[in-house]
Amino acid sequence: MHACHNYTSLTSRRDFLARLGLGLGGAALSTLLNPLDPRIDGTLGIPHHVARARRVIYLFQSGGPSQFELFDYKPVVNAMHGEELPDSVRRGQRLTGMTGFQNSLPLARSHFAFQQHGDSGAWVSELMPHTARIADELCFIKSMHTEAINHDPAITFFQTGSQIAGRPSFGSWLSYGLGADSENLPAFCVLITKNKGGQPLYSRLWGNGFLPSLHQGVQFRSGKDPVLFLNNPEGISRTSRRKMLDRLRELHHLQQDHAVEARIAQYEMAYRMQTSVPEVMEFSDEPDHIFDLYGNDARNPGTFAANCLLSRRLVERGVRFVQLYHQGWDHHGGLPAGIRQQCQETDQASAALVLDLKQRGLLDDTLVIWGGEFGRTNYCQGRLTDADYGRDHHPRCFSLWMAGGGVRAGMSYGETDEFGYNIVRDPVHVHDFQATLLHLLGIDHERLTFKHQGRRYRLTDVHGHVVPDVLA
Amino acid sequence: MAGLRYKLQLHRHLGRTCVVKRRFRCDSPSMLLIRLTRGMAMAAVLLAGLSCTGSNEVDFNRDIRPILNERCVACHGGIRRQGDLNLLFRAEALLPGKSGKAAIVPFDAGASELMQRVSHVSTDERMPQENDPLTDKEVRLLGQWIDDGAPWDPHWAYVAPQNPEIPAVSDPSWPRKPLDTFILARIDEEGLTPSMQADCPTMLRRVSLDLVGLPPAAEHVLAACTNPDTVDYEAFVDNLLASPQFGERWASMWLDLARYADSKGYEKDIPRTIWRYRDWVIRAFNADMPFDQFTIEQLAGDLLPTPTEEQLVATAFHRNTMTNTEGGTDDEEFRVAAVIDRVNTTWEVWQGTSFGCVQCHGHPYDPFRHEDYYQFFAFFNNTEDWDQDNEMPTMPHFEDADREAGEALLAEIRELEDELRAAAAEPDVTAARRVWEDQLDDPKVVGQVPGRSQNEVRRIVAIPVEERDIGQEAFLNAIYAEITPDPRISDLRKVRGEKQQALAALEPVLTPIMRELPARRQRSTYVFERGSFLLKGDAVTAGVPAALPEMPPETPRNRLGLAQWLVSMDNPLTARVMVNRFWEQLFGAGIVESLEDFGTQGEPPSHPELLDHLAITFMHEYNWSMKAIIKDIVTSATYRQSSAISRDLLERDPRNRLLARGPRFRLSAEQIRDQALAVSGLLSDRMYGPSVKPPQPDGLWQNPYDNTRWETSTDDDRYRRGLYTYWRRTVPYPSMATFDSPSREFCVSRRVRTNTPLQALVSLNDPVFVEAAQALARRMVDEATDPDPDAQLTTGYELALAHSPTVNELASLRALYDKALDHYGASPDDAYAISGGYHSAELAATTVAANAILNLDAFVMKQ
Repeated sequence: MHACHNYTSLTSRRDFLARLGLGLGGAALSTLLNPLDPRIDGTLGIPHHVARARRVIYLFQSGGPSQFELFDYKPVVNAMHGEELPDSVRRGQRLTGMTGFQNSLPLARSHFAFQQHGDSGAWVSELMPHTARIADELCFIKSMHTEAINHDPAITFFQTGSQIAGRPSFGSWLSYGLGADSENLPAFCVLITKNKGGQPLYSRLWGNGFLPSLHQGVQFRSGKDPVLFLNNPEGISRTSRRKMLDRLRELHHLQQDHAVEARIAQYEMAYRMQTSVPEVMEFSDEPDHIFDLYGNDARNPGTFAANCLLSRRLVERGVRFVQLYHQGWDHHGGLPAGIRQQCQETDQASAALVLDLKQRGLLDDTLVIWGGEFGRTNYCQGRLTDADYGRDHHPRCFSLWMAGGGVRAGMSYGETDEFGYNIVRDPVHVHDFQATLLHLLGIDHERLTFKHQGRRYRLTDVHGHVVPDVLA
Repeated sequence: MAGLRYKLQLHRHLGRTCVVKRRFRCDSPSMLLIRLTRGMAMAAVLLAGLSCTGSNEVDFNRDIRPILNERCVACHGGIRRQGDLNLLFRAEALLPGKSGKAAIVPFDAGASELMQRVSHVSTDERMPQENDPLTDKEVRLLGQWIDDGAPWDPHWAYVAPQNPEIPAVSDPSWPRKPLDTFILARIDEEGLTPSMQADCPTMLRRVSLDLVGLPPAAEHVLAACTNPDTVDYEAFVDNLLASPQFGERWASMWLDLARYADSKGYEKDIPRTIWRYRDWVIRAFNADMPFDQFTIEQLAGDLLPTPTEEQLVATAFHRNTMTNTEGGTDDEEFRVAAVIDRVNTTWEVWQGTSFGCVQCHGHPYDPFRHEDYYQFFAFFNNTEDWDQDNEMPTMPHFEDADREAGEALLAEIRELEDELRAAAAEPDVTAARRVWEDQLDDPKVVGQVPGRSQNEVRRIVAIPVEERDIGQEAFLNAIYAEITPDPRISDLRKVRGEKQQALAALEPVLTPIMRELPARRQRSTYVFERGSFLLKGDAVTAGVPAALPEMPPETPRNRLGLAQWLVSMDNPLTARVMVNRFWEQLFGAGIVESLEDFGTQGEPPSHPELLDHLAITFMHEYNWSMKAIIKDIVTSATYRQSSAISRDLLERDPRNRLLARGPRFRLSAEQIRDQALAVSGLLSDRMYGPSVKPPQPDGLWQNPYDNTRWETSTDDDRYRRGLYTYWRRTVPYPSMATFDSPSREFCVSRRVRTNTPLQALVSLNDPVFVEAAQALARRMVDEATDPDPDAQLTTGYELALAHSPTVNELASLRALYDKALDHYGASPDDAYAISGGYHSAELAATTVAANAILNLDAFVMKQ
């Protein structure tokens, strides 16, 4: 790389400064915190092409929701209930250590009935009545596949494009590429359903990887300190804080340093967040019909329903990317009862979010995604009885849905074989999915890069193809 | 152009003797200034100065390699070799390609297919395909270069550093150290002048933060600096270098590279006991262990003759890799992942090279081949550890009273292990094992094998007996020895179990260490096709890449030999990479800004001769003494400049690459915490031991897999230095992560400093910082010479910044204090709360002022 050429390829001053280590101790980031324009510039300046979506709400269902009980209707599996998975289907593929030595792999039928819905005729099970009702708004992908078979590598792969820790998460890439539209809230917010068990979630999933840490997701928590250290200590009122910051600003100006404006702006944005965060989390201005729409849980902060409503409020205020997590889909056993519970917690609010965005005219340019890190096996893990069974991890096919933001509504894309084991039509790899999301946001996934360790990294590594058929 | 002559050793493939080359500017700064927008102008000039040079003669590295890298190697390089052409190695580029024609025929551009193709009139034939054609200038350069014989100079970083001439400078009285001359020569060239020396308090605070990570005692600085001329700066530096806190500060840098953490990583992220390694690093820095020894002990301490316990603990460097304890994972997969991490980390730490690319294919730009990766992998592929939950092998450390008994038990257990394996290798037991192998389809039989070993057992059993290697047989033997009902063996297991229980009762601290497999259990190493451990290609043996010097024939082909090779004087990278790290820690940016990549895609050095000078001094003059090279830098005139900056200089050199002023940047996460505790008098000086849990918000540790809780440390451990804070990879300590500390899941060479509102929230509101403000307020009251608020505020300011406030600053603080006093006089509950439990409006108001002082820009910056 020729240094002179390298200079011309720097697309913005911010990129330039951010890449080069901020030798002035933050002064370089004055564009971030310039009091006159506190919004972050994205590194791209203008998108690569016209964006169909301006913001994303990602309802991540952690643990691997079973496609057999939700969206991928398989009458053959139902009919062959209890029979052995034919070798001709499995073809010796890798299993996890949990069922790899099970001497029998009996097919397990879905405990729940399926029906087609809407004009589009999408298959949705009885577990998801609200989702079924908005089927014509949704684009189901039935042919997702991934490379990882264990939770940690799989969820890391989905969110960062690599199974190995260390890459920036999807939201961080967006913050880096597109910047923030809000002067009072972070570009990338993270909400986790409270009191759920299951696979742990870790900050790496919303981490900035090798990007500057200002691009990391900021976790909002239910409870009294919604963002860590947001509240003034006891004995300091908001007025006292204002007076203190005024004097601090005065002291900073006395320092007679060119770099100090960035420091002042940093404190001013912190102060604004102290108002804007509680304000967005305070639902008292929401009318009853909204709570009716999302379900009564929405009145209980920290539930999935409340987080769906909160994510709508966040995107209304300019937040670029809201990442929700709902744990508990890892049903190795006790699947029927477990998945019923999960659906009760998520179905109504997920559908409500789509409808609510639509009625506010936000759905056109807000992308909503519902899905997990992999699918589940068509055969039973553990003991198969009429009333109970479990399913192991299955990376070879699974389902998710998208809505809004330039996605074709009322569509089911891709197809699995009659056993629901392999994909027979239109496979969508995780990197293809990521490329497609970036495309919808106006980004060419091959051109949003960050140079690190001598290499230009991107979310999709060296892979990924946009799936044109799912674009509206 | 003084100082810009340097010798280039020519590539050994060419076998020519040295030539002298000359560098010139490619454009005058004024021209560039006119063409470029204001803010960017200086940066561009600097970049230009760094590598964009011109001369009559074509220079491969300057003129040709960038063309090949930018326009050609994506298709004809380490990843793809379309038309059988690889432009990363001269020997290959001269071979006939698929077309039968050679791309490059030295001394004959006309006969070179490359020239035909880049200038072809037909867009179907022209290279690069489906891309803009090369410019006329680029084509001309390529042609001239081939006509010159297509000399293929190696990249500068792969040529051993040469001792550079000391350049002539405008002001011979300015340099204090030889290194200063390189800086001044460059400043001279740019027509700038160095800054004045920093004032006494600023200097003492700067060097103290840099060497021990803590501010100096304010009273000492104030007393000493009343008469700056009498301050013996060098003695001050020597004191800091001798202080035990020196090791704590520099360990922080090394622990990022070592990816040290107190948990195993991945999904479950179970706690891990490896703090004795952290303590080893601190002690090594304090003892000024030479860097060559520091390297050898960490990479191969176990292979030294009769290693000490400490040398074994040092090898935990590479046991900081993650262990995946998630259910259903394949141990071999994650053992391989750990070995890959060891390979990549070793390259990043010692060679400043991103080797990770080569896992899957040849390096896209640098001269490393796919096989090179696995030859290097072979050095690390034969340690005993195997992604096991128990982290074996470990080094037990006993309380003194238990040591004798403990070591006796260990010896007995080792003996029993040997007997077990020997018994299991008896012909009749082996015969029984063959029968067992055939029964593994039965879930009851396979169910006896530990779950996470089942995949590997299955993989080996699928291989016909005669095709298995010795390590695979030994593996099955070891597994079978643990489950066979044969009474001879089960009796041995029983006795061993008793001994193990007795050992566990002594509660030794078990530190994971590296231990080489015995010869009979050594694994073979294969190239992994596309980097996947499931796709084994050709077998390889341990070795180093051909692009770098060979291993001396007498060194063993194991980790010990590898470590010796890294610190041999012939290795062109190790010393440069290391002095560059010290430079970055002290100045905020490396001479090579990309600390982690000295390859052709990394940033070129801002001062190449300086880098070589430091590397050679480090190796030859100081015999790898880290304290000596650090002292050299902090006693230089360059380092001692004021960091005050004029607007003119800010525009000409915004990032201080020329170092015409002193360093100024935000402190690290650890320093921010330590400094607040230090100036408020809370800081504990206790060293070493298990990691501690200072206060953090409730509810962050929610891990369903273990019942560990964040039990907040109660005594002095609340106030220990940041490097002792418990480091859980998936739940980093929030205030540290907010100030850009890494998760330690993998090696990190440099922390990118950012400036976010969340940081302000930490230093304003985090209970740790509030407590520091309260303690500082009490100190202000106690230590002020006078009960007058002005005296207290002055004391607080001095305690924090080691110099006195100006009249205006004091007035500002006083106004804040007075307003707060009004409020707290009327609101005693608030006063009680903010002062930390005192019924005093005055103390409450002082606390508010202390909180402001601890948030001053000057406080969180090194300047």
